[in-house]
Amino acid sequence: MTLFIHFLAAVVGTVAFALIFDVPPRFYLLCGLIGGVGFFLVELLMDLGLSQTEATFLATMLVTLSSRVCAVWRRCPATVFLISGIIPLVPGAGVYWTAYYLVMGDTSEALTRGFAAIRVAVAIVLGIVLMLEIPNRLFIRKKSA
Amino acid sequence: MRYSMDEVLETAVEAGHILLESGAEIFRVEETMERISRYFGVDKSHKEFFVLANGLFATGTTERGHFAKVKQSRVQGARLSKVVAINQLSREIERGKYTLPQVRQELERIKNLPEPPKYLSILAAGMGSAGFCCMFGGDAADCAVSFLAGLILYAFVVFVSAPRMSNISGNLLGGAIVTVVCLLCQRLGFGHDLSHMIIGGIIPLVPGVAFTNGIRDIADGDYISGAVRLLDALLVFLCIAVGVGVVFTVYRHISGGVIL
Repeated sequence: MTLFIHFLAAVVGTVAFALIFDVPPRFYLLCGLIGGVGFFLVELLMDLGLSQTEATFLATMLVTLSSRVCAVWRRCPATVFLISGIIPLVPGAGVYWTAYYLVMGDTSEALTRGFAAIRVAVAIVLGIVLMLEIPNRLFIRKKSA
Repeated sequence: MRYSMDEVLETAVEAGHILLESGAEIFRVEETMERISRYFGVDKSHKEFFVLANGLFATGTTERGHFAKVKQSRVQGARLSKVVAINQLSREIERGKYTLPQVRQELERIKNLPEPPKYLSILAAGMGSAGFCCMFGGDAADCAVSFLAGLILYAFVVFVSAPRMSNISGNLLGGAIVTVVCLLCQRLGFGHDLSHMIIGGIIPLVPGVAFTNGIRDIADGDYISGAVRLLDALLVFLCIAVGVGVVFTVYRHISGGVIL
């Protein structure tokens, strides 16, 4: 149930970002769904015992893949979906906790949180880069089939 | 129908410039410029484009001698609707639907596409903050405070920091404003978990476009532009953290106690 509420919140959050980035309104719903599903997958995988880094890596791959599929389907740049859909995965909370523990004088905890945020960011990078390697024609054939 | 090569290159540069300022990847900018000039009859041997994150260079050999153009660009914020529109335009050019003057006209229209109204962006930032607060485990009251913090933050971004402040001080102050609003609300008895409220509140500042495009540029081998964009993203993250941290420090001195 919590997972579902968080999924809805992620959809709302992603659509809000889509608006801020001036995505054309006809793509709002798809952006929201991609962002929501990505965040849902992270939480699900973490419940199943994966680390945040691993979960984010897999979710990023899903987000990038679905962005590319939607881009072919709706005939628009994948960037539109990718930029919005990645936002829920970005370690914004990690940045906050790093600042928080630094101020509280707990340097070791701050370091832990800071490195965790960097690991998540690297996971996102790897996930995006890997999925961008799939050649474009595979997507186009998928569509005509 | 043949067009003057100067005019073709001019149009390609204009399209590239709009794309670059709206938050497109370097690869897309280069490809679009390439497509437009190829379709209207300027082939590879007659021109060279060089695109960086903050400017583009175009040179060519034309009937009238030499063509050269440098355009600076400042990314003010993503305008993905323009990227979508130019992408559409460049597909249709290749299908032969446009003459060069029509392309110029269409580019002029795309360049002046209206921004989403300011109040809507501010409202969206509030919704986004509330949504992210909930995702990270905040309850309804926390989300309400995040919503308020997001609204105030984005009003500040739209009216003060975006038009007249540097990236550094804008994000620093942004992070500080969110923290102040959330601290005040908590002291007045609204909201329970300060951390969730602040995390939700600072989310609208997250540099999503710079981060994602930076990764894509590096993946495409555009290292300079990718590095510049990732540096930009990192700087924004750091500034937000410092903004939050400074307010916490001051608050600790005033209240003399622990936060939370």
